[in-house]
Amino acid sequence: MTATNTAPTTATAPPTGAPRPAARRGPTLVGGRGGFWFVLPFLVVYAAFVLWPLLYGFGLSFFDTSLVREESRFVGLDNYALLLSDPEVWRTLWVTILFTIGSTIPLVLVALVMALLVQTGVGGQWFWRFAYFAPFLLPVATVALIWEWLFSGDFGLFNGILAAVGLPPVGWLTDQSIGLWSVVILTVWWTVGFNFLLYLAALQAIPAQLYEAAELDGAGGWRRLFSITLPLLNRTTGLVVVLQVLASLKLFDQAYILYDASGGPGGSATPILQYVYETGFTDYRLGYASAISYVFFVLIILIALVQARLSRRSEP
Amino acid sequence: MTTSHCLSRRTFLRATAAAGGAALLSSCARGPGGAVDLAYWNFFTGSDGQLMVGLVDRYRAEAPDVRVTDTTLMWGTPYYTKLAMACAGGRAPDLATLHASRLATFGTQLLDEWDLDELAARGVSMDEFPEPVRERVTIDGRVMALPLDTHPLVLYYNTDVCEKAGLLATDGSLAPITSPEQMLDAGRRLAEVTGSIGIAFGAADNLASWMLFWSLFRQLGGEMRLPDGGPAEVDRDAMVQAMAFMQAACDGTIASPTLEGDAAPAAFASGQAGFLLIGPWEVTTARTAEIPFSMTQFPALFGDTPYVRADSHSFVLPRQANLDPVVRGKAYDMAVSMLRNSLDWAAGGGHIPALSAVAESPEYHAQQPISNYRGAAEVVEFDPEAYFSGSGSTLMSRAGQSLQSVNSGAFTPAQGADDLIGWLNNQLTLGSPL
Repeated sequence: MTATNTAPTTATAPPTGAPRPAARRGPTLVGGRGGFWFVLPFLVVYAAFVLWPLLYGFGLSFFDTSLVREESRFVGLDNYALLLSDPEVWRTLWVTILFTIGSTIPLVLVALVMALLVQTGVGGQWFWRFAYFAPFLLPVATVALIWEWLFSGDFGLFNGILAAVGLPPVGWLTDQSIGLWSVVILTVWWTVGFNFLLYLAALQAIPAQLYEAAELDGAGGWRRLFSITLPLLNRTTGLVVVLQVLASLKLFDQAYILYDASGGPGGSATPILQYVYETGFTDYRLGYASAISYVFFVLIILIALVQARLSRRSEP
Repeated sequence: MTTSHCLSRRTFLRATAAAGGAALLSSCARGPGGAVDLAYWNFFTGSDGQLMVGLVDRYRAEAPDVRVTDTTLMWGTPYYTKLAMACAGGRAPDLATLHASRLATFGTQLLDEWDLDELAARGVSMDEFPEPVRERVTIDGRVMALPLDTHPLVLYYNTDVCEKAGLLATDGSLAPITSPEQMLDAGRRLAEVTGSIGIAFGAADNLASWMLFWSLFRQLGGEMRLPDGGPAEVDRDAMVQAMAFMQAACDGTIASPTLEGDAAPAAFASGQAGFLLIGPWEVTTARTAEIPFSMTQFPALFGDTPYVRADSHSFVLPRQANLDPVVRGKAYDMAVSMLRNSLDWAAGGGHIPALSAVAESPEYHAQQPISNYRGAAEVVEFDPEAYFSGSGSTLMSRAGQSLQSVNSGAFTPAQGADDLIGWLNNQLTLGSPL
């Protein structure tokens, strides 16, 4: 019976500072050795599938390792020197950055507008919530296939509509200057639901009395939006932007499937991760691919740090 | 109460561990009697996938003592990556399918050669394969792959549309086309009949663009050598000329400059085009659509010889860490069985059988329209030799980018050629992984 008494207290109130008197059945889960054993399964998986590959990949970037050859040679910084002069690295990196900028802005703004519209009391909120979030649940292959046919130059729905209203067709998947933006459109449709949910949750957390007070003071709808709603959404916007930038930098799967691995018209939609994948797995040059991916990794960390610094500064 | 709860959880954990261990052990267990396990990997999906299952099942019926596990993986990079990793790890399948054009990468270290005596013991000699294919699968005098078929670029034509356009000969087959101008003219006349386009060609597709380009480039006498370290030795003039023809064809009337890979066969199957240019595997699409059509060898538009880009599905023996001679023997049996039964493969999928016993059989010759282009097997042109070349390779995908830009008019043919040559030079300086 004593055991049942101590269990809830240790679970709900972790020890703060002074060591608690030991329970009769032994050390607590949090403070004692028992806790370690509970975390161990996670640690093993984490070490085996995150830490070790991270270190191994870093080591790999100093070798000319190949998937189709047994022996590999230590080449020092050769891989890194090579990538500095490899135009394809910088070109695909630029494509990735362009996509990140081009997709983050609509993904934040559209999500915000959708959340505001739903929150301002359209009937059947559950329906809009479901409808806006539903695409996010679709697997990437399904999304890419649907849009491949929508975008199709000669058979596609979009060009069909353009033709019906007498406009010239657009080379959604074939025009070099449009190829990447087609991926942006697809991505916005596919993933905007997630940001929308974050915004909606934040909107619902704003206390109603703030609006009541403002209304009593004679503030109109727009005034309430700009003076109450948007300032109070600041933290959420910060979170959404950070998550979105990191997600957009990882562009690979939808572009890869949409363009059947071709990289889009004239390579205009080849993200750097696809170049890493092609170098490592299509061309079997694992060492060089590792070097590129670590340069990109460092870049992502830098961007994340800058963002963290910026969002900390903007907070009161 | 608490104690019993605690105990039951421990018992549960122990039971789970025991059950897991048992499952692990049973998966290692061997089959009853003298059954041999044989693992076979391939990349055939769709209608080719069904035909391949048919071939495997026929071998299963022939050899009831062999338990064949056939694994189908997605064609292209996913397949080749997994096979290379499995080979490098020493636990590859006992038999695998490979495009002959990809042998350059696999042939040096990851595969075992085919033993000619073992093949002879099963009644197969290398003379029974078409010469260009035989040459391609032989590396340094060693036969590294056993060809099942060749699949060249072919010309599909809608007989109704062609008749209305006046393109048929008196016997109802397509009248010969012998020059680029004639091909473009035929395209225009077909477009008049269909009211849409003349030639369905995947101008926005890597594979379709590369197949046509490489055929024309080789017909023009173009050579491409890709030595490690570079630079690429390429006939730029032939490249420009081939690209100029493709651009002229993709004028929106003769062929669409924006048709995607899936859309090209769809356009042909729905009667919106009179010709279709792609590999023979789309015969199923045309048959399913029940349109009046036939097929023929892609003609010589330049020069006298109708060189045509092709590849060959072939069987390879991945290197094993621990080679079991019995299993290896069964792998030979299975490969030879599939070669002998390749009539179904040809009849259903349109591929030209590689084994002469099948390719010269009256049963195959009776197959219409797929035996019409069997002569292509003698003039096939494989992709240039390099580790990044071949079906589903980086070269095909990157060349596809240059070619699509030419097809869509974004590049002039000269710009397209320089773009491709520039990339080849850069790729060669990166050094080979072999």
